[in-house]
Amino acid sequence: MSASHSAVPTLLEVQRALRRSLVEHDDGEAAGYILADGLASEGRLNVYRNTFIGALTTALRLAYPAVHRLVGPEFFEGAARIFIEKEPPRGAYLDEYGSGFPEFLAQFRQAASVAYLPDVARLEWTVSRALHAPDVEALDLSRLVAVDPADHGRIAFVPHPSVGLVQADCPADTIWRAVLAQDDAAMAAIDLGSGPVWLMVQRFATGVEVTRFSKQEWRFANRLCVDQPLQEALDDASGFNASAALAGHLAAGRFTGFRLETAP
Amino acid sequence: MSPGSGAGCSPIPAKAGIGLRFQHHRAVIEGKPPVGWFEVHTENYMGGGTPLGDLDAIRCDYPISLHGVGLSLGTAEGLDPAHLARIRRVADRVAPVLVSEHLSWSISGGVYLADLLALPMTEEALATVCRNVDQTQGYLRRPILVENPSSYLRFRHSTIPECEFLAAVAARTGCGILCDVNNIYVSAANHGWDAAEYLAALPASAIGEIHLAGHSVRELEGGRMLRVDDHGSRVIPEVWQLYSEALARFGPVPTLIEWDTKLPPLETLLDEAARAQALLDHERKSLGRADAA
Repeated sequence: MSASHSAVPTLLEVQRALRRSLVEHDDGEAAGYILADGLASEGRLNVYRNTFIGALTTALRLAYPAVHRLVGPEFFEGAARIFIEKEPPRGAYLDEYGSGFPEFLAQFRQAASVAYLPDVARLEWTVSRALHAPDVEALDLSRLVAVDPADHGRIAFVPHPSVGLVQADCPADTIWRAVLAQDDAAMAAIDLGSGPVWLMVQRFATGVEVTRFSKQEWRFANRLCVDQPLQEALDDASGFNASAALAGHLAAGRFTGFRLETAP
Repeated sequence: MSPGSGAGCSPIPAKAGIGLRFQHHRAVIEGKPPVGWFEVHTENYMGGGTPLGDLDAIRCDYPISLHGVGLSLGTAEGLDPAHLARIRRVADRVAPVLVSEHLSWSISGGVYLADLLALPMTEEALATVCRNVDQTQGYLRRPILVENPSSYLRFRHSTIPECEFLAAVAARTGCGILCDVNNIYVSAANHGWDAAEYLAALPASAIGEIHLAGHSVRELEGGRMLRVDDHGSRVIPEVWQLYSEALARFGPVPTLIEWDTKLPPLETLLDEAARAQALLDHERKSLGRADAA
């Protein structure tokens, strides 16, 4: 439906038309607003469309370097283009763009032969979040000491924004490391059938670390990180030393604060 | 921002600076190269960790300018308050000498289009940009500079030349102008404008910074050439010439070398900055002679 050229479009109309052109390849209305001047509107719009796709593909490649290496640049760019048009960014802070890419890959038929790809992507997104998380001081332990021991069970921790927990059905951490190190021998030694892994991701001053936990330890950490009171997390913990695990989390600076859960 | 000579409009000395990218952080921290100042993309420092830590170290030794690419000053739907808040957080942390954005738009329907899109040059767009600049300057509690972008299309219903539009934004909002000489050259070539007329229409008292960069030439259908601002090469001789004309008109103004794609070693950027510095020094000497005469 082309706009009447006699009526002057509003800024809102122009911007909506160009968005439809760039994201949905619907040039009809936008072309009517543009001076041809020796070059078809499509060629002019393509300059912006190429930057739109190019800049966002770069953002995804930076967030998913191992996925990029696993599938190769051509496949990655093709998948990225479809994803970008399906889920364009909702804001201009591109370090936050691409959270839906692992789920997109899980549903992407052309990637179905690489069954571990979505798990590696989920890990990479958690690593990317850790890399870009804001700087926040770890919990000052003297604040915990000041809590009445009778209230310890009601402590609900606030996790550090760089901390993330990932569960994968394959050794996603081993694959991720081998791919980024371009270590073919390590890659060849990976047993995809070795079972699930439970991972904790965290940024330290030295960089982002990915650590394997047992299933029970991971569940305990996960409960603490989703705002559950300490007593509930402890009640659920079995098969490992929960006090030692808690001390480890505190020493590693995995929490930035806490509140006292009010009794139900 | 108080009017004055071009150089007087800027809180940093009229020296040449370099657009700083992550790949050069270590070289700058360890080598402390002889350059007047650095400019970074605001959006690259909205998270924590290493980049922001590096910038903390670098800003001990150099003035830092924050150059945003995502605020979308021309958006008809109103500014994204979350993005504005992120810019203020970075500005509070980095204490920049300058904060700048673009005369363009990039958000529609809540979707970020990751480019600096051309605006229709209309009274409605002018009022929109001025409203958004007012909001930004009020929220950041400081004046900003607004930069002319390169453009690859024009709208049928535009009524105001871009240079006059930009001058009007500065006059109505009190913002400064970031005059991108390469962008003037690129847009003038793409649209058949007269670059000298463009420079002449900008108020010298509002010019707070100049940008210089390389661009590429793409051949499109029918052999038609389009110049594209990709910041991936050295400044071309014609743009250096236009820069000299800009200095003659505006006086010495802080000048930045931008390079984003196919990033070369820092030495190449320092070499380009030294060339800009020589032209700034030449302009200052000419002014000295004129004053003495």
